[in-house]
Amino acid sequence: MSKTREVILGKIVKSNSHTDYVCQVYSLNEFEPAPRPENYALGTFVKIELTDGTSPAYLVGLIYDTVLLNPEFGRLGPRLSSESELTTFSPDYLNERAVLLGITAIGRVKANGEAVLGVPRLAARSDALVREMTREEIVHFHTGSGQLDLSYLPILVRIDNPLAYHLARIVLLRLMDLLPAYRAELDVLEDDLGWQTQIGPLGGLQ
Amino acid sequence: MNRPLGRAKGPGPTPHSFLFVSPDLEKNLKVGEFITYEAEIDGEPQTILARISERRPVRLYPDPFSSDPAIDPNRVAAIVGYSGKTSELFEITAEVIGCYDEKLRAFINPRVPPRVGTPIALAGNEYLSRVLSRVKAGEVGSATVGWLLSRPRLQVPIAIDVNALVSTHMAIIASTGAGKSYTAGVLIEEMLKANNRAAILVIDPHGEYETLAEIANSNALSGDGYRPGARVHAPGGIKIRVGTLEQGDLRYLLPNVSDRMSYVLGRAYREAENISKKRCSDPNRWTLRELEDAIDRQGENEEDTFDRGSANALLWRLRATIHTGADEIFDDQQQTPLSELFQPGRVTVMRLDQVDERQQQVIVAALLRRVFYARMDNKNEQVAPGSDNYLPYPVFILIEEAHNFAPANADIVTTNILKKVLAEGRKFGVGVGLISQRPGKLDPDVLSQCNTQFLLRIVNPVDQARVRESVESVGRDLLDELPALTKGQAIISGAAVNTPVLCQIRERYVRHGGESQSAVDEWRSYSGEAQTRRRERDTATPRQPSSRRSSLFKED
Ligand SMILES: Nc1ncnc2c1ncn2[C@@H]1O[C@H](COP(=O)(O)OP(=O)(O)OP(=O)(O)O)[C@@H](O)[C@H]1O
Ligand SMILES: [Mg+2]
Repeated sequence: MSKTREVILGKIVKSNSHTDYVCQVYSLNEFEPAPRPENYALGTFVKIELTDGTSPAYLVGLIYDTVLLNPEFGRLGPRLSSESELTTFSPDYLNERAVLLGITAIGRVKANGEAVLGVPRLAARSDALVREMTREEIVHFHTGSGQLDLSYLPILVRIDNPLAYHLARIVLLRLMDLLPAYRAELDVLEDDLGWQTQIGPLGGLQ
Repeated sequence: MNRPLGRAKGPGPTPHSFLFVSPDLEKNLKVGEFITYEAEIDGEPQTILARISERRPVRLYPDPFSSDPAIDPNRVAAIVGYSGKTSELFEITAEVIGCYDEKLRAFINPRVPPRVGTPIALAGNEYLSRVLSRVKAGEVGSATVGWLLSRPRLQVPIAIDVNALVSTHMAIIASTGAGKSYTAGVLIEEMLKANNRAAILVIDPHGEYETLAEIANSNALSGDGYRPGARVHAPGGIKIRVGTLEQGDLRYLLPNVSDRMSYVLGRAYREAENISKKRCSDPNRWTLRELEDAIDRQGENEEDTFDRGSANALLWRLRATIHTGADEIFDDQQQTPLSELFQPGRVTVMRLDQVDERQQQVIVAALLRRVFYARMDNKNEQVAPGSDNYLPYPVFILIEEAHNFAPANADIVTTNILKKVLAEGRKFGVGVGLISQRPGKLDPDVLSQCNTQFLLRIVNPVDQARVRESVESVGRDLLDELPALTKGQAIISGAAVNTPVLCQIRERYVRHGGESQSAVDEWRSYSGEAQTRRRERDTATPRQPSSRRSSLFKED
């Protein structure tokens, strides 16, 4: 597994609860490399720094929702300006067009590298940086104890979102890819969610 | 008291029951198992016994956790963050039996359910050995037929009370092949031990009890100068005097008796009785010949020509049905003395195989009548020693295929006397044990009069229903186990035990005679024989034609 490059996605701008954070994705020119949509896809594992860079400890979160902020507003306004003109004449206005990510916290990694899954005791600060997790970090988070650990799954399927089961399924499919040694066990869980998301709504007995 | 396995939760569905919760890590808490708890009665701490009647899981993994047979659901649970030990947790219903009173040797039911949180433990082996029955294993009056099924072999012996068993009658009920005759054999062995020395007669319509003869040579049963006896009588070895047959017996034995014939028979029967009475002042000593002559005389009635035909028809039937003589069961003069049929410390087996079913019924009816009234007279000291009917001690009669002698929905020759014995036998010391694989075909009144029950595996729903309705002493929870029992496992309940128990019947000391035959083994052995013969034939050197010719003149 080649070490993937770390992408900074944005910063925490708001939280709705202890585990429910809102991250604003950086726009084009703020950071290099700039985050691209596949970096913040639904079900992406992210880390939220817990200190301002002084400690390697971080919260682990999962992108469970995406909201585009005021996407239509610009078009209704100075409609004659093209996007390139806007960049030149009113950069602030462009900044108001933002992508917001809903992130649910599912655990943390302590400064010593120990992974703790489940509701984290610590909360992130405002403006904390949010990064996409690398494959290695995801693998470590889930198997650091020497055993596959998915103990956040029950919390995940209970988040207040119609996509909760789909999200859990995306996570499982991703992990099956990353953790082939646990494919059979993951398959048991994935199969159940698959039934509940795909067959259950059509009237399958559950 | 043992280490607690659970804690009391609260009252159960019935007034005598309570609930407790246990992870049951060692899988001990099965239905039928005994548990104890401590409760205070009149200021004294007492041990209370209860029996598990239901076990319900209160925690279960979602079914899809088991969707891949190769994956242990516990593993899936561990992955999603549950690795506790109590993934299985049970709510267990138990029925309070009570507190054992050492003086009464019985349970008194103080109706003290455990308080919430009371520790519940498995009942100790030693405690159970002491309380399940009035008698302890090996004591005078005990029959140790096996051990408590839920405990390791021989840990908790099941000793039943022989006095209760014989005085208030017994039934062994099970589907075919479940171990009825085997269990009866164990019971007979126990009753013949030096501590009981019972006088037993077995009515054996299938010749399954022949091997009991080995009891006489068994060292397991003898000792201290005592040695039990066993006699097996082939049909004809036990004599019934024809004069003791009642009119109803005859009418039942003879095929297709019309009303007219029945009338003729009645008159002839009374005449034969009178002849007997005149001869020896006992109406029950007529001979077959005297009865035949009496019937013949009925045919000479001038006024009614029909009587001739009826008399002839009766005579023909009588001669075809009842025979007297050396090898026959019926005899004109003799009857086997009761003291020969019944001897303390001896089992007598009366084989009735190859005897027609109606004859069997009449024989059993005649025998039961004789024993019952003899015991009545003996009780009143009206029988002199030396008489055929001298029987100064109580007896026990075991009847196989009991549904043939007390069928449901029909009154046959044996029904009345059997009911009489069951109802009044206790007063005169006549105990009966009934064995049947078709309780559904057995008269329900008869079954419910047997106060000790051995119930082995019963599969047929009709039979289960009959047992449910006739056997009051066993709870539903235990009866539900009936179809799941295996060979030699029995529910023993009723008068001879303090509370119903699930028992593993022990192995026999002497060989069991009712072994199931293996059809395949027999086919194979015969086929082997036939093949050998065929091979011999096929490989034999053919005789020369010349030699055959020569044999005309001289022996080969
Ligand atoms: N307690 C036991 N221990 C060992 N074997 C047993 C026990 N009880 C029964 N068996 C075996 O089970 C078989 C059937 O037993 P048994 O002949 O007593 O059945 P049954 O109920 O009398 O059947 P049937 O209705 O045909 O008379 C026998 O071969 C016997 O050896
Ligand atoms: Mg039998």
